[in-house]
Amino acid sequence: MKEEWDVIVIGGGHAGIEAALAARRTGCSVVLISANTRRIGEMSCNPAIGGIAKGTIVREIDALDGSMARSADATRLHFRMLNRRKGPAVWGPRVQSDAAEYARAQQLCIGNNRIEILEDEVTALEGSTAKVAGVRCRKNGSIKGKTVVIAAGTFLKGRLFRGDEHWKGGRIGDISADSLEKDLVKRMFHVERFKTGTPSRIVRNTVKIEELEVQESEKTNFTFSYGKSPIPENEEVCYVTYTNRRTMDIAKENLHRSPLLAGRIEGTGPRYCPSFEDKVVKFPERLSHKIYVEPMGYRSRHFYLNGLSSSLPREAQEKMARSLPGFERAEISDYGYAVEYSYLHFAEMDATLRLRRTDNVFAAGQICGTSGYEEAAGLGLIAGANAGRFAKNLEPLRLSRMDAYIGVMIDDIVSKGADEPYRMFSSRAENRLHLRQDNADRRLYRTGNRFGILSEVKKKLLAGNIEEADTIRKILETETVNGIQMSKWCRRPGISIGSVIKEANSLVDKDEGVLTSVLLDEKYSGYIERNLRRSESKKNLEKISLRDIPSYMKIDEICWEAREVLERERPETLARAEKIPGIRPTDLQGLLIYLGRKRSTWNNSSGGEAQ
Amino acid sequence: MDSISPEIICAVATPEGTSALSVIRVSGKGSFQLIEKIMSLKKNRLRGMRRKVGRIFEGGRTVDEVVAVSWPEGKSFTAEEMVEIICHGIPGSVRAIIEILIKEGARRAEPGEFARRAFGNGRLSAVQIIALAALWDTEKDRSVFTGETEKNCRKLMREIEKAREMIEGNIEFGETHLNEEDESIQNVFTELMTSAKDFREEAASIEKSSRVMIMGPINSGKSTLFNVLTGKSGALVSDEPGTTRDGSSCFLEVRGRRIQLCDTAGNDGIGLDRTASEAVINGLHGTDRIIWMSEGGRTAPTEKIREKAGEIIEIAAKSDLKNKPETEQILNVSSVSGEGIEELREIISRVPGSMSLSCAAKRIEESVKESYNFISLKEYDLAAELLSEAEIEARRIIGRGENIQLSVERALAGMCVGK
Ligand SMILES: Cc1cc2nc3c(=O)[nH]c(=O)nc-3n(C[C@H](O)[C@H](O)[C@H](O)COP(=O)(O)OP(=O)(O)OC[C@H]3O[C@@H](n4cnc5c(N)ncnc54)[C@H](O)[C@@H]3O)c2cc1C
Repeated sequence: MKEEWDVIVIGGGHAGIEAALAARRTGCSVVLISANTRRIGEMSCNPAIGGIAKGTIVREIDALDGSMARSADATRLHFRMLNRRKGPAVWGPRVQSDAAEYARAQQLCIGNNRIEILEDEVTALEGSTAKVAGVRCRKNGSIKGKTVVIAAGTFLKGRLFRGDEHWKGGRIGDISADSLEKDLVKRMFHVERFKTGTPSRIVRNTVKIEELEVQESEKTNFTFSYGKSPIPENEEVCYVTYTNRRTMDIAKENLHRSPLLAGRIEGTGPRYCPSFEDKVVKFPERLSHKIYVEPMGYRSRHFYLNGLSSSLPREAQEKMARSLPGFERAEISDYGYAVEYSYLHFAEMDATLRLRRTDNVFAAGQICGTSGYEEAAGLGLIAGANAGRFAKNLEPLRLSRMDAYIGVMIDDIVSKGADEPYRMFSSRAENRLHLRQDNADRRLYRTGNRFGILSEVKKKLLAGNIEEADTIRKILETETVNGIQMSKWCRRPGISIGSVIKEANSLVDKDEGVLTSVLLDEKYSGYIERNLRRSESKKNLEKISLRDIPSYMKIDEICWEAREVLERERPETLARAEKIPGIRPTDLQGLLIYLGRKRSTWNNSSGGEAQ
Repeated sequence: MDSISPEIICAVATPEGTSALSVIRVSGKGSFQLIEKIMSLKKNRLRGMRRKVGRIFEGGRTVDEVVAVSWPEGKSFTAEEMVEIICHGIPGSVRAIIEILIKEGARRAEPGEFARRAFGNGRLSAVQIIALAALWDTEKDRSVFTGETEKNCRKLMREIEKAREMIEGNIEFGETHLNEEDESIQNVFTELMTSAKDFREEAASIEKSSRVMIMGPINSGKSTLFNVLTGKSGALVSDEPGTTRDGSSCFLEVRGRRIQLCDTAGNDGIGLDRTASEAVINGLHGTDRIIWMSEGGRTAPTEKIREKAGEIIEIAAKSDLKNKPETEQILNVSSVSGEGIEELREIISRVPGSMSLSCAAKRIEESVKESYNFISLKEYDLAAELLSEAEIEARRIIGRGENIQLSVERALAGMCVGK
């Protein structure tokens, strides 16, 4: 064991893994401490990675050289591109993986990257809160580190519930990190409670699958990883079934035994991934809900019931499952349950995921108030990279909302927080047309490279894609179709990649993925530019100088009190003015109007962002 | 006097001349105290929402018997402390009261200043200001209340939001839940498109036409240009006497846009006497565009004009006389040879530019239509994008009006004293 580690990562979930790997890529020595090392990389809930917006996060992780994409590709059993018929900017790649294989693949990654794994429970941070010296472990005592990443997931004072049963744990069969939580609270970190839940798992051969609707995997050579990982041969289909009146009635009859409704759980649950009993209460008019029946692995003996999450008592869960067509004799192997846990209040973190009150502690994953593997992994990558960079005395990495879903997520959770576990949605991104799954490589290459978190292989691959895109763009700019520049022509609705290749021979040998992606850039370019302009003009508050204002007292557009305050304070920029107490948004608007008129730019029909 | 800060403004809100009653508006922090003082009321008598009958004294002499109605901060038209003095409509006593107010520390309000304060304090939204101005606009025959247009804009915004929520819901959950939403999206759009069209029409009807003013040194050929622009191909709509004090103005249609073109007598601060020049420059507030012409483009507009005006189109006049300017920024125009006239017309037709209410309303309508197109093409991503554009636009109209600053300015500038 080392005397002092550069980075200590607490937790071997999706966040902890990416954090450890990213910190390692910055060249740091890393130890990953997990209470149960055999469960590192475990999928606590459903055996799937990706989805709408989430799938794009996975590709962003890959562009920043994380491992989630590669492991998901390597263990995939089933693939679907969600929203294929709703516009390429909202396509969501999703795979179902072999859950056990996935965890193994991730563990392998950790092992291959010379990250030390330690099985122990972290009970406290060591040293002062402002500058933490390391962590204290139950068995191994104190471990020194320059920086610490906390990625404890659902384990902080985790409490599990099912009907009237309740016990301690961050996940069934795991410990609850009560001591660590106590230490954080003692150090005056503001924590709150959330809850989430998981459905029951069904014994496969007790289900009459011939009665279920089949959903085949799409035949495609798509991979999450831009590196084109080989596609495994093993495949599974998944099934679809629907709940009915009886399912609903059973849930209703047992509502009083739900730990949430009976008041035993106080934490807020996820609105968008609710338990079935929540759905019954919230959408009483909906008589039927779609349930996906997903195998937990290749030829696995277990099915996962996606959409039937529940923490009702065992008998109720069993009755509910058996009310589904084809499930009349189904046996449950693992019952669903809910977990309630502590997470850090948003004000504790900054945009680099550092805990504000410390110099060197970072947070990632579900303890930041999010939910979902992809969200956790995305946060982990950034927290890990920043912990590594801090240990090396380097400037931290920040992703902007305009550049990545991960940027949107971090900005949302550190500036607004959430009143329920935060899940990524594509609609959260104002620049959604740019944040696509097809261009994460090109969007993030520069950041990844500049902040030194890309391996040589990745760097070469991504740089190659960028070069390819440049070549393609040049061709589009020089070639014409019927006298129209090709880059303009291809923006028309209904133009397919095939028809573009037909028009320009020089595109024939180009990488299909990159070509498609560049064509989409063209298609959306007008909108993307407008969004960027809008975000710029927000940022411009910082750039708008107020130094030339001779006197505020004569500016009619702002109220009198504001004039006096501004005259006294004389802020340098509009952004500073915004921070002065007593200055209201309306005053800022007034100043803008005033400055606009002075500069005679506001009725310029070619420059404003309002067009 | 020190206790009263100079921010209190006052003005007569009723027409000049003799009438049964007149109303004087007073607004700003300290208004209560001021009125209490001149009416010799006990302290805090006007605090809250009160009505007090009393007399205004000066040097022991009664000036008038009045009713003072007070509104506390946040509840008044301007959102400031405000008092309305209802007095007798005798010009002499009204004037005397105003003078007393000024002596006691208030200052005369500028035209539209009450409304400007209401806007600045977030009491009136941008669209309300415009609608308010339209109420007094004799150019139109309308009897709407100020709230109406805003209400319609809000309704439109809600409909946009609803449609967008549906599309977003379909994007996020369409694949995983039962998919029955396509039809309701259609229905929502049918309604939305009607609302967008209605709002566009309403916006156009409450908005004044754009104003373009021709300025420049004496003898630079302004009147000739004015005649060329209005006389020949621009259809003359009507003469409007008395809009400008020192020039003529007329409404014309340039490429389908209604424009008020004004000619000013020579104005460079030299050719006119000082007061007349001042008046023109002050009248610029709310002018959408200025055509600044000088021979060969050699004389630049003064700082003062630049400061007051919006955008300036600089042209070099009499280009037929080989007066070509050196810079390409300046358009060569000759009223004799016709050089540059079409270009100028094109430029004028684009006034008022994008920052007007009617343009914003049109953008909303277009975005909604385009969004619907994308729905039928099954490009939900773009459909949602366009709706969010429309939503931002609408939100600004009922907010601070960043996207319609021109209309707001023009509305404020067109208001009378006391409004
Ligand atoms: C019951 C359940 C239901 C869920 N349901 C959903 C759902 O419906 N939808 C959804 O999107 N997501 C759901 N998830 C969440 C999803 O599993 C998480 O979002 C994701 O796994 C979070 O990753 P993480 O890395 O933050 O934490 P986790 O995957 O929870 O990993 C935490 C890791 O930290 C370790 N650890 C914690 N404390 C200590 C300590 N003191 N010392 C040492 N090691 C420690 C643990 O051993 C573990 O390795 C559910 C999770 C659970 C447990």
